[in-house]
Amino acid sequence: MSGIKQNPGLYKIVVTHYVVAAICFLVLSVMMLFSVKAFTGHYFHPQILAITHMAALGWGTMIILGASYQLIPVVLETDLYSEKLAWISFALFLPGLIALVYSFWVFVPGIHMQCGAILLLLAVLLFTVNVYLTAKKKKQETIQEDFIFSACICLCLTVALGAALVFNFTLAIFPQDQLHFLKLHAHMGLIGWFLLMLIGVSSKLVPMFLVSSYQSTKLLTYSYYLIVGALLYFLVDSYLFGLSLRTYLIFTIGGAGIACYFIFLLKCLRSRLRKHIDLPMLNSFLSFILLKIATLTVPFIIYFHLKNNPVTIRFSMIYGEFMLMGWITALILGQTFKTMPFIVWVKRYEHLTGKFKTPMPADLFADNLLKAQTVSYLIFCLTFMPGCYLLFLPLIYVGIAALMVTAMLYLSNIFIVLFHKTVTYGKL
Amino acid sequence: MASFDITDPNSFLKEQMTETLRLVMDPELHINIIDLGLVYGIEIEAPEKRVTVEITLSSSYCPMGESIVSAVKNCIEGHYEGYEATVNLVWEPVWSYDCITDQGKRLLGL
Repeated sequence: MSGIKQNPGLYKIVVTHYVVAAICFLVLSVMMLFSVKAFTGHYFHPQILAITHMAALGWGTMIILGASYQLIPVVLETDLYSEKLAWISFALFLPGLIALVYSFWVFVPGIHMQCGAILLLLAVLLFTVNVYLTAKKKKQETIQEDFIFSACICLCLTVALGAALVFNFTLAIFPQDQLHFLKLHAHMGLIGWFLLMLIGVSSKLVPMFLVSSYQSTKLLTYSYYLIVGALLYFLVDSYLFGLSLRTYLIFTIGGAGIACYFIFLLKCLRSRLRKHIDLPMLNSFLSFILLKIATLTVPFIIYFHLKNNPVTIRFSMIYGEFMLMGWITALILGQTFKTMPFIVWVKRYEHLTGKFKTPMPADLFADNLLKAQTVSYLIFCLTFMPGCYLLFLPLIYVGIAALMVTAMLYLSNIFIVLFHKTVTYGKL
Repeated sequence: MASFDITDPNSFLKEQMTETLRLVMDPELHINIIDLGLVYGIEIEAPEKRVTVEITLSSSYCPMGESIVSAVKNCIEGHYEGYEATVNLVWEPVWSYDCITDQGKRLLGL
């Protein structure tokens, strides 16, 4: 036996992260409603900073941390090192998030913002230690392990640089301006943390959920080295010289890495045993399309930046929106209903399997709510992103209203799964 | 899966137990473990009323592994009173698509 068992402690920590992330998602959509005009301006705006950090930390990172406690033991085929460390990390992360987001929103770069940044840094350091000690327990090394551990290091570096930038508001640590470091901070987070972590975990989960016969990890190895290489090259080159013609080359290297990952997914899809693709997986595939769109905006950002054209700011906004509110959000909206029903199902039904007829994990969430959630999220994508590009406020309003509906449906479905009452249909 | 052996007095019971195990479903694929080819063998020690079921999983990191193992044990012990079931999880031979029965392939839409 692989020895991966779900104990009550693990269940609590995972579910807590899921619920808090879902609440953060709803709060995020409300914050966006009160910041509509800010989406038509520069991204270095207090409300945009608050929204970005709520999306990246409260929504994206929070749920990835929670899912990691459940999935990393599955991916690494070993038990989680410490649940206590996970709880301490969570206890530091949540107040840190609230302090940081609130300080950005009212824009008071003082002690609260600094404390928030320090708490977040401590939280992610503990998470990384937990992952490292979990991985240390096993002998076999896989490319997924490289992805996951590199992602954790990038998360720590992203938060460390973010904390330094917070202190820089009052202490002037850096000689250059904030914007120079902001793109390094953003890319270390988006590419280093989110992309590497999501590729690492999804490259195990997607073949498993689709039951694919494609087993080769060669494409993933190429993907890893190309993406990490491009990221390091970008960080050094961009720090020393800013954006230049070389950035096109860096983009090509990174793009090739993402392409390798897409080809891997395509091979998994083509060799799948399970022909029917359910709605959660369709959401996941939508997220890959959104990642592709986000990637395709990068050459425009470089081009307009080199021409000193202010349109580059609008493309940068679109890029960030497609990454955070597009790719990452769509992936979470789909994968939540692949992972959470399973987590709850194991707790409610594992001891009953083989004795009684029981519901399956897919029966635990409300399918109609998920359909409605998918439709409202698609409306958000089709209105909000174009609205921001065209600077057309009515479209942005419609998009945010659709996102609020999405968030409410998502949260409702989370609670439906969580408060599922055990039912059996008589003896087998 | 072991074939029917007329010289083995337990063969009929083995066949019965195999059919019973069709009630155990893979929670993700919604297909029974017999048609998925996850059951490699059933050994019966009739006098002691002991049954050993050898099963595998579609992947070694399958998070549903524990559920399937406990379901097999519960299923045998629930249907054959007095019998004690032991479930051995094995990784050799490695499970492949060839293990799936024709009925299983039909259920998967292949």
